Amino acid sequence: MSDPESGDAGNDSSAPTLAEAEAKILACESSEALKEVEREYVGKQGVVARLLASIPDAPPEERPEVGKQANILKKGVQQAIQARQQGLADARVATEREGQGFDPSLPPPRPQRGSLHPLTQVTRELEDLFQSMGYRILDGPEIETDYYNFEALNIPADHPARDSHDTFFCEGDGHLVLRTHTSPVQIRALENLEPPLRVVIPGKVFRHESTDASHDHTFHQMEGLVVDRDISVAHLIGAMKTLLRGIFDRDLEVRLRPGYFPFVEPGFELDARCPFCEEGCRVCKRTRWIELLPCGLVHPNVLRAGGVDPEEWGAFAFGLGLSRLVMLRHAIDDVRHLLGGDIRFLEQF
Amino acid sequence: MYVSYRWLGRHIDLEGISPEQLCEDLTLSTAEVEGIEKFAPHLSAVRVGKVETRVPHPDADKLSVCTVDIGEEESLNIVCGAPNVDAGQKVAVATVGTVLPGDFKIKKSKIRGVESRGMICSVRELELGEDHDGIWVLPEEAEIGQPVADAVGLNDWVIEIDNKSLTHRPDLWGHRGIAAEIAAIYSRPLKPLSFDWPEWGDGAPYPIRIETPACSRYIGLQIDGAKATESPDWLKGLLLAVGQRSIDCLVDLSNFVMLDLGQPNHTFDRHALDSDGIAIRMAREGEQMTTLDGEERDLQPSDLLICSGDRPVALAGIMGGEGSKVGDTTDALLLEIATFAPAVVRRTSSRLGLRTDASARFEKSLDPTLPQRAGAHFARLLRELQPDVRFPAPPTDVGEWTDPAHTLTLRPEQVRRELGKAIPDEEITSILKRLGFGVEKSEAGYAVAVPSSRSTKDVHLDRDLVEEVGRIYRYGNIEEKFMRADITPPPKDPRRHLVRALQDRLAGAGRFHETLSYSFVHDALLEKLGMLDLPHVRIVNPVAHGEERIRRSVAPSLLAGLETNRRLLDDVRLFEVGKGYLPDPEDPNREPQELHLAGLVWASAPAGAGARFDAHAFNRLQGVVTDLLDHLEAAETHWRPAPAPPLWAHPAKALEAVCTESGDVLAVVAELDPGLHAGLGLSGEQASEVAVAEVSIDALLKAPQRGSRYKTLARYPGIKLDVAIALPETTAAAEVHSAIKKAGKGSVADAELFDLYRGDSVGAGRKSLAYHVTLQSEKKTLTEKDEQKFLKRFEALVGELGGELRNG
Repeated sequence: MSDPESGDAGNDSSAPTLAEAEAKILACESSEALKEVEREYVGKQGVVARLLASIPDAPPEERPEVGKQANILKKGVQQAIQARQQGLADARVATEREGQGFDPSLPPPRPQRGSLHPLTQVTRELEDLFQSMGYRILDGPEIETDYYNFEALNIPADHPARDSHDTFFCEGDGHLVLRTHTSPVQIRALENLEPPLRVVIPGKVFRHESTDASHDHTFHQMEGLVVDRDISVAHLIGAMKTLLRGIFDRDLEVRLRPGYFPFVEPGFELDARCPFCEEGCRVCKRTRWIELLPCGLVHPNVLRAGGVDPEEWGAFAFGLGLSRLVMLRHAIDDVRHLLGGDIRFLEQF
Repeated sequence: MYVSYRWLGRHIDLEGISPEQLCEDLTLSTAEVEGIEKFAPHLSAVRVGKVETRVPHPDADKLSVCTVDIGEEESLNIVCGAPNVDAGQKVAVATVGTVLPGDFKIKKSKIRGVESRGMICSVRELELGEDHDGIWVLPEEAEIGQPVADAVGLNDWVIEIDNKSLTHRPDLWGHRGIAAEIAAIYSRPLKPLSFDWPEWGDGAPYPIRIETPACSRYIGLQIDGAKATESPDWLKGLLLAVGQRSIDCLVDLSNFVMLDLGQPNHTFDRHALDSDGIAIRMAREGEQMTTLDGEERDLQPSDLLICSGDRPVALAGIMGGEGSKVGDTTDALLLEIATFAPAVVRRTSSRLGLRTDASARFEKSLDPTLPQRAGAHFARLLRELQPDVRFPAPPTDVGEWTDPAHTLTLRPEQVRRELGKAIPDEEITSILKRLGFGVEKSEAGYAVAVPSSRSTKDVHLDRDLVEEVGRIYRYGNIEEKFMRADITPPPKDPRRHLVRALQDRLAGAGRFHETLSYSFVHDALLEKLGMLDLPHVRIVNPVAHGEERIRRSVAPSLLAGLETNRRLLDDVRLFEVGKGYLPDPEDPNREPQELHLAGLVWASAPAGAGARFDAHAFNRLQGVVTDLLDHLEAAETHWRPAPAPPLWAHPAKALEAVCTESGDVLAVVAELDPGLHAGLGLSGEQASEVAVAEVSIDALLKAPQRGSRYKTLARYPGIKLDVAIALPETTAAAEVHSAIKKAGKGSVADAELFDLYRGDSVGAGRKSLAYHVTLQSEKKTLTEKDEQKFLKRFEALVGELGGELRNG
């Protein structure tokens, strides 16, 4: 009671106290300042507390009034503080909304990421496409026997077609080779599965070639084989068009012309209208056609080698150059990047 | 193979068929045309001129000044250096602006003060021959002002056909064969050509003896009085168009017959042959001969020889011998036209690396009836060129050959079914007839007589006839059809599923880049890695020396390019899914064992001294593999030191992940042996921490799976506390981890090591491990009392390990 300030507050328990408090609250610019005022009025030792503490000292008839005043003051202060707090919060949001110092051109940090090889991506896409059409996906060894790579595919020893295969031979008696195509898995499929069947075989193949920007001795292919009753060239054309639509997302004009592969008869080269130009470009060598799919009706000898009766079953087969497709898709100008292992290349996909 | 458009015109009327159209049609019906080019296009720019006057150059002895009429108003003044130029001659004039071979552009010029407005050309300047002694004097009939190409009949187009697409068509290796295709495509007749022998004398036939079945037919024709004179222009022109330089009329004719009919042939000088004639036999072990190209060849018993007496004079079907070369003065010749076994010719020419125009044809299985026609063709042409030649005796024609012509049964229904197009019978039979097949109605359909030229290789099955009909009918005229079939989803493919999940996890959460590598590993790399002596599958014909080995595993491939990538990046994370091959230890001819693997490498700049204990490449890679195995839902695994670490691995820092239930090793993670860093270029600026892992996809596929099951969410809050323990260096972290678990009596929900410290405050030979521990119960909210009990038990257990709890 000796403190003059508290004495003031204690003695002057009239309305101006609330008005004064409200003025103080309104003047607060932070929640810390508000806390301070809150403590001053409604804290344990605050104005309200002291007011209430003074009740016993007051004459009995004034006591209810003092109590009432104290409560009014308390409520009033609390309300004012809450209102001010809301006001301060609103002001903060409003300031934030102004977006001062925001530079919309600031480059964002990018998350570190990994990548899937473009060949993996194209292979998966095709696998999914084929699977949706009921094809099964098979795998086969990269080191093959002469039998599967050549003999069973109607390419007997000393056949001139072996020339174009540029084969890598393994040490030994010469019957183990690095497979020159994915076609040997056709025979394995015929041997192991019951017709009718639809399979595709993606994989790595090898040709003993000198390398340059468009040739590599190791590349990736996808082989397809369909065995069913009454398979015709017309079916083959239909299937190939569907496949191309799946790859290029649109209908491309195609042309089928004779092509010689001993394991098919008749054999074709399927050319598609160059999807990259209207009047000839580098990709199509100005011919407006790109050679995309060697294909054909499977030779009866091949079906027989796989234990399938060619009188009962027909079949067509096709091959797709996955490496080539990847290059076409991403406009890659050097095939050697594909297996070069350079992260600057890999991280782009 | 090169085909001359003009040459084709000798066999079929090409009126109305442009060279471009012809190429398109051949591509769509017969074989792939790779390109078409105007033959010597400059010949269309060079024009026929007539030299009106010729006077010596006033200032130069060897030059003349000519006025040349090229059919324009004004004659041209041309300075010419050729000694043979003269007034009245018809000559080839390149006017100002014409570009000659070698990008040589003719300009108006002054030669020693005299203006010259063009050039009178020599044969060599026009790339028509070697002659450069004087200008080319054109025939008198050449019309002034006409392009030279037209005036001398050299207006031609050269068509290049992809040899690969002719592999099965021995009949298409000559112009007449191609013309026969054109005849079928356009329904035009082939021009007749006589294959009758010219008359011969009644001398003794030349003695020829075939001693091996590798030669099925051999015709020898004696020719007297032939001279190796210069060939006429028509012959030179045609040969030139297909890229053959003219030698002399005998060589040229031999080439011409081969390129015309597809039948190789050879002429011997009879003076260089022994009197007892020709013998055809296999070579003997150790025998040698020198071929026409001057090379001495070591022969093998699989090589077929033409011998005079016992002396080899030709490598049959490939190349003649030097000894019997026909010289300028030869007047007694023996013409050989024969049929040799394709496989024999092919094997020898492959072995010797000696591929000739002849061997390319023989290996395709030539028609054994063709030698007679080719022989007669040669003889008739020679007589036309040199009317004085004589054939002193009938040709010798020996050998055991049979006409391969045969008959097939064609069911038109099969053609329609296999092509998927309702082609009427008449059209089918018309196509076959146009292609030279005999067609007669039979009970089963049609009896189709296959001519001998198509019988050796190509047409043997009824399916082959389907192709004949289809290609001439044109595949483009067949509309697409869609198969109707029951589609059942293909069976699940666990391997592919696993590989995809693995790739996605590593490229995703693992932030690794996927790479694909060659299967060859370089010896130099293997040597550095100490793996050179391991058994590898090896290639006998590698692309480069030292690249004959096929990788046993993926890791070496990943280490190969590390230096390059590290130079560019502080942090290299690569993985590859691929195969490795282990040769059969007993028998190299048995198929090698195939391993499906994923390799991973993490190479980064060394972690600094202040780095966290687990910030090293090895720890991080082990973390990635742990996460991967978990993601792939492998049943519980544990890590243990690898008993036999890979050769490239740090001998101590190599761990393997083992399936606890089955004991299968699923993966190995190791630090790269520090001794290898320098060799791999990972020292100095590229000094790196390198960790390598190999995951066995085969093992993962076999290993038990844990499946994926939801774990109930905790209902009561847990207590988090940190504990630090100081203990001897030799005590493994795993023991502390067990102690935590044990002290918790089932209430330890998580215990994470977050610090490993060595230093003065823990003393020498000791280390400090600090853990975040979470205690949690499924039945109640744990209290401080529970925490105290845990700590008390833990302290006792730590004491047993020779350690003590540290405060704070």
